[in-house]
Amino acid sequence: MLSVRHLTKTYPNGKKGLQDVSFTAAPGTVTAVIGPSGAGKTTLLRSLNRLITPEQGTVTLGDQELRGADAQALRQARRQIGMIFQDYNLIEPLSALENVLQGCLGQKRLLPGVLGLYTKAETSHALALLDEVGLRAYAAQKTRDLSGGQKQRVGIARALMQDPKVLLCDEPIASLDPQSTRTVMTIIADLAKARNLIVVMNLHQVGIAREFADHIVGVNAGRIVFDDNAAALTELAAAAIYEKEATALA
Amino acid sequence: MISNPELTADSLQPAKLTPTPRPRLRAKRPARALLLALVAITGYTLTTLAPHGVDLGAASLTFLRNLRLMFLQPHLGQETFAQLSQALLLTVALALLTTLIGAGLAFFLALITARNLAPRSLGDVMRSVMALIRAVPTILWVLVYATVIGLGTEAAVVGLSFHSVAYLTKAFAEAIEEVPKEKLDALRASGAGFWLTVRHAVWPLVRQRLLAWTFIRFEINFANAVAVGAAAGTGGIGYYLFMASAFYFDFQEVGLIVLMILVFAAGLEMIAVRMRKSLLTGN
Repeated sequence: MLSVRHLTKTYPNGKKGLQDVSFTAAPGTVTAVIGPSGAGKTTLLRSLNRLITPEQGTVTLGDQELRGADAQALRQARRQIGMIFQDYNLIEPLSALENVLQGCLGQKRLLPGVLGLYTKAETSHALALLDEVGLRAYAAQKTRDLSGGQKQRVGIARALMQDPKVLLCDEPIASLDPQSTRTVMTIIADLAKARNLIVVMNLHQVGIAREFADHIVGVNAGRIVFDDNAAALTELAAAAIYEKEATALA
Repeated sequence: MISNPELTADSLQPAKLTPTPRPRLRAKRPARALLLALVAITGYTLTTLAPHGVDLGAASLTFLRNLRLMFLQPHLGQETFAQLSQALLLTVALALLTTLIGAGLAFFLALITARNLAPRSLGDVMRSVMALIRAVPTILWVLVYATVIGLGTEAAVVGLSFHSVAYLTKAFAEAIEEVPKEKLDALRASGAGFWLTVRHAVWPLVRQRLLAWTFIRFEINFANAVAVGAAAGTGGIGYYLFMASAFYFDFQEVGLIVLMILVFAAGLEMIAVRMRKSLLTGN
């Protein structure tokens, strides 16, 4: 279980990124975080693996608390948290296979890691993951030559290479066409069930969130204004999440 | 009633459109005056600089004859071709060594200078120190070290490397800063530490650019290595050039040495053009 309690983040310019945010995400489910632009969705997601450090609150994965963890403990915790990004963040001069292999760097010793020496088992695992996302034939291809949807699938395979307990997805379909959107969302939803993953995902599209998520968290102005099952997200509730007035009500 | 004496009927009229001064013309005026003064000084100097006893026509002819001797009739003088080739190799070796030392050190210094990798305050300090070192010309650094170590190869190696480090640190740090923070975050988020992030995210994205900068610095160091050959007693082709010109006045040998340097520099330029092309096409 991923448990977030009373998370608060204020940026140096005084802007409130998160205000007393609490929710839980269960294994084998997809939690979609929705809300207007600038609502704090990315801040929330990046606080979960401490790419952003909140001032207050706790993020607990199993029995491990992340917000107060030291550098070593944080690196260990991050190995259990895979992440995919809106712009994929692949290393484009490298092949799809090399990008996927990077997912296991957090578990490697420094010298073999720096020398880029991967074991046969690691390479086989990476190839199997590329197969799982339907890109086995593109293993040797430079990722700069792949389409957006293919890049995102390489990103998913890279995250899975960590063998994570949690998968964080920061706007994973924002740069994709409708067909690639459905492919990527289907892969993520299936993975959550098949691997018992805790998936937390930022989304803009309410319809997609309803269709693929089990649990929806609505955020506005850094506060949670909705936290329920996907089925409970009525048109009215969705409108309230995206309304500016919701800020005042919250 | 208008109590303010300044607010009279006249002052309440719509403001008359007065032509605003043209600042560009104004700014040009001192520049134009300076130019005129310089032209006047040059004219006066040229007309009053009487080259007593020198026949300008004959001197120009001699100059052209010397150029012809240098470049159309190059010839060996005091040294054999093997000696000159060996000296050229020594100069190339000096340029290569100082470039490699510079690039190696600069890579690690760039990691603590680039804003997306190092703390901002450390980056600012590094940037200032490197700017200070770069502000002094390479040849002066060689002479500074020559006073400590003594004239010779050691001073040249240290001096050339010293300036190369400062030059390449700036160039490398700027190349590294172009790596988007999100790409680094992707590796950090997987638990990879600093060195693994540098090796697997920074290095593949910047290596071509670093190589191109290193090559540019090699070209600069080659030119500097020729100069310090004479100025700092390092030897190499620069030393023979100095001897042939200042000691023996052997224009044919000067011409041969200059042509040897030109051929090598042209070869370097050809490689540089290819590298730039491959950089642009991303291969």
